[in-house]
Amino acid sequence: MNGFRKAMRTMHSFSLHRLLAPLLLAGSTAACTTHTTESQGTCVPDPAVSCTVNGFSAEAVHLTGYSCTGAARPDDNSTYIDGVPQGLVCADQAGGGYCCTNFTTQCSYNPVGICDPGTYGYQCLGANRPEALNPAISCNQGVREDNVINFCCSGTERAANCTQSDAIGCAAGITGWICPTGTQPTAQDMGANKSRADLFYLLCPVPTVAANPKYETYCCYTASLVPAGGTCLQDRNVPGCAPGRFGIACYGTDTPEQNFARLNCPDPGVPGISEQGYPATVYCCDYTSN
Amino acid sequence: MKHPCGLPFFRKAPSFSRTRLPSWLGAVSLLGMAACGSNDEEAPPIEYMCDTDSTLASPAPVGVCGAGDPKLPPEPKFPAEPVCQEIKATKTGPAEDTLDTNLIQTALTQCKGGAVKLVADGERNSFVTGHLTVSNVTLWVDAGVTLYASRDPEQYQKTGNCGRIGISDSGACTDFITMDGVSPAIMGDGVIDGQGGEPLIGHDYSWWQASYALRAIDGSIGNPPLINTTTKTNGMVLYRITLHNSPKFHVKIASTPSYGPTACTTAGDGFTVWGITILTPSKWKNSKGEVLTPSFARNTDGVDPGEGSIAQCGVIACNTISTGDDHIAVKGGHWVSNLIIAHNHFGTGHGMSIGSETFGSYTSPDGVLHRGIENMDVYDLTIDADSRPVGYDAQASDFNGIRVKSDESRGGLVNNITYTDICMRDMTNAILVSTAYNPMFAGTLFPDFRALTFRNLHHVTCKGLSRPVVTLEGFNSTLPLGPVTLDNVVIDNMGKLDVAAEYANIELGPGDVSFYPSGFDVTVTDNRVPGSSAKRTCVFPTLPTPEVPPGWLR
Repeated sequence: MNGFRKAMRTMHSFSLHRLLAPLLLAGSTAACTTHTTESQGTCVPDPAVSCTVNGFSAEAVHLTGYSCTGAARPDDNSTYIDGVPQGLVCADQAGGGYCCTNFTTQCSYNPVGICDPGTYGYQCLGANRPEALNPAISCNQGVREDNVINFCCSGTERAANCTQSDAIGCAAGITGWICPTGTQPTAQDMGANKSRADLFYLLCPVPTVAANPKYETYCCYTASLVPAGGTCLQDRNVPGCAPGRFGIACYGTDTPEQNFARLNCPDPGVPGISEQGYPATVYCCDYTSN
Repeated sequence: MKHPCGLPFFRKAPSFSRTRLPSWLGAVSLLGMAACGSNDEEAPPIEYMCDTDSTLASPAPVGVCGAGDPKLPPEPKFPAEPVCQEIKATKTGPAEDTLDTNLIQTALTQCKGGAVKLVADGERNSFVTGHLTVSNVTLWVDAGVTLYASRDPEQYQKTGNCGRIGISDSGACTDFITMDGVSPAIMGDGVIDGQGGEPLIGHDYSWWQASYALRAIDGSIGNPPLINTTTKTNGMVLYRITLHNSPKFHVKIASTPSYGPTACTTAGDGFTVWGITILTPSKWKNSKGEVLTPSFARNTDGVDPGEGSIAQCGVIACNTISTGDDHIAVKGGHWVSNLIIAHNHFGTGHGMSIGSETFGSYTSPDGVLHRGIENMDVYDLTIDADSRPVGYDAQASDFNGIRVKSDESRGGLVNNITYTDICMRDMTNAILVSTAYNPMFAGTLFPDFRALTFRNLHHVTCKGLSRPVVTLEGFNSTLPLGPVTLDNVVIDNMGKLDVAAEYANIELGPGDVSFYPSGFDVTVTDNRVPGSSAKRTCVFPTLPTPEVPPGWLR
């Protein structure tokens, strides 16, 4: 990467660097481009990509703008050294291009991260969070995986999703939410004074259509951890499971009651397909406060 | 990158790289360093300072601590006698065959503006109650008397989940004692015991075990706080009372001066916590013989101003706190300002802390927008990690010194905070200013940490099981930390690698500073004048501690 950085700094001294960059890169910055092929494309620094953030210049916030061709990204040559991620953190820009850190971070672009459309993955070590490295990016709640944390990020500021609401009329002890249709509450939607953490998650029922049909409501609760070996997951698509009840899919022989102490499932499970699309035994259950 | 011992080594950032060090990670690497030797071949021999002074009684005799301190209001006083009602104990321990709730609550209700005194009757020295409300009245627990919180969760039931294990429901229970109104007070040389480590009635687990069960998911347990204040409280006072074994936070404070939230004419007009003792756990084993340790007493913060609403114009003075979570956590989820925290002694705990909520904002009646936490003066403080044995499950976070913590899910302004005349011993994190309290949390409430001053601070070593670390981190290039002033700040026996900084503007001097912070986007202005300062002389009091089982070490 040192050669890459030297080349990047060198290129800034040329006024025609956009024209020369491919030649320079081809000759001296193999590390920058070896990950790409002709079909994947290449990335070059591009001052036309504005990386000003909140009135701070790109230089002040240690960002460099890039233009890319094909499927290439400036950060897709990330590496791991002794298990420590190493790479750039890049925010994709609405007008094209990327704003990337001008230094190597302890985050790696994760092309196989499971992320919603329009977002992309990073794996970061320890307390590194992409927003602190690159103020132009916005990421979701992290999920710990061994010694790294997985994030899904975007250069577009994340829109507010679900909001907590006491007006839903949920039973005592569970929390009401109102969400745009098609979304469901996540830990990052919780209030700032609520405790959240890596394995914290909400168990939510089949949604109820709100008075405004653009929204759905949920009554969710925070389940304790599924016991080791538990195979049951939330499933909002259990056939015949009415809004407000909890659809659950189990891949093994365990039952929802064994995994979620607050659930009561009056009917036996039936063969079905989980929300993730795999064969499972599906149940329709109710929250119980007893 | 590997530590020389072969451990993963996270603290030395490569060129153009940066490392954000969470406290737990730092502790891991530090313990590794301590185990394998020094990270600094040039380090001088370790100086040990292990003395304690048993003449510094806790609490101090009436009229001694804080006397002559011009920043403090006069020490509170006990009510004049005879009081409105005096109630004699009928129990010799925490038996729950009958409860004293109605007896005491009726007296408290009838004595508004006055005081109710709980006294012993010969060997009968105990009361047991469920939820109590102390509104516009003083509850006086006499010396030798213990007021126990009932172990029956139904006494505090709010949502149906109070006392239920495995449920994250922060609103499940009401408080043990709710304070409300104008100048409510809890005083006396007696004890209030929350029985957090004892089995709950109808269950085979304790409040703390219910909380511990949620630790893996950082669930928010709904255990009852020992003492809480409503948002309508003005001028609450806690004086000389001893608090043990709270199921959750010991004291949550929301309070403003009676004349409103925009001014603070006299320190303490908002609230006063003076001369109290918090020791949790207070015993080494519960009635079932189960071992109780500070790290097991999860979420048992000592004193938390601003937890439920704005807190302003407060004094926390002359207290002794040793517990399983933050000694003091100033919570900025609303707005906190004008606090004096003086002449306190801390033992085990997670630190003299700010945060993690710092996002608050409040528009006062004059239209001024106030934010986060500002104008806080902490001085004459000792924090001694060696004050008590802590057992095999102690964690690095049980030995934190000064902490300012937040993250982007709950961050905001922290400004004009001063720490003066501070002594610490055997901390893992001597100073920890972190904007990545939990890096997994997402949000757009970015921490904005500004002026922090550390003056006449000395950290010493006795057992030295880990090397002290200093961490000074801003959030990013657009929200740097600072200015941070370090003036006569001496951390004994630090290694060169034991200071981490990033995104920070730091001023050193004129007094000596025993380390030189550097890191990504760190600007250091060095105004140190050699010979202009002397290390603060540290005297640590002998702090209260449970009887120590033989063979226990830290």
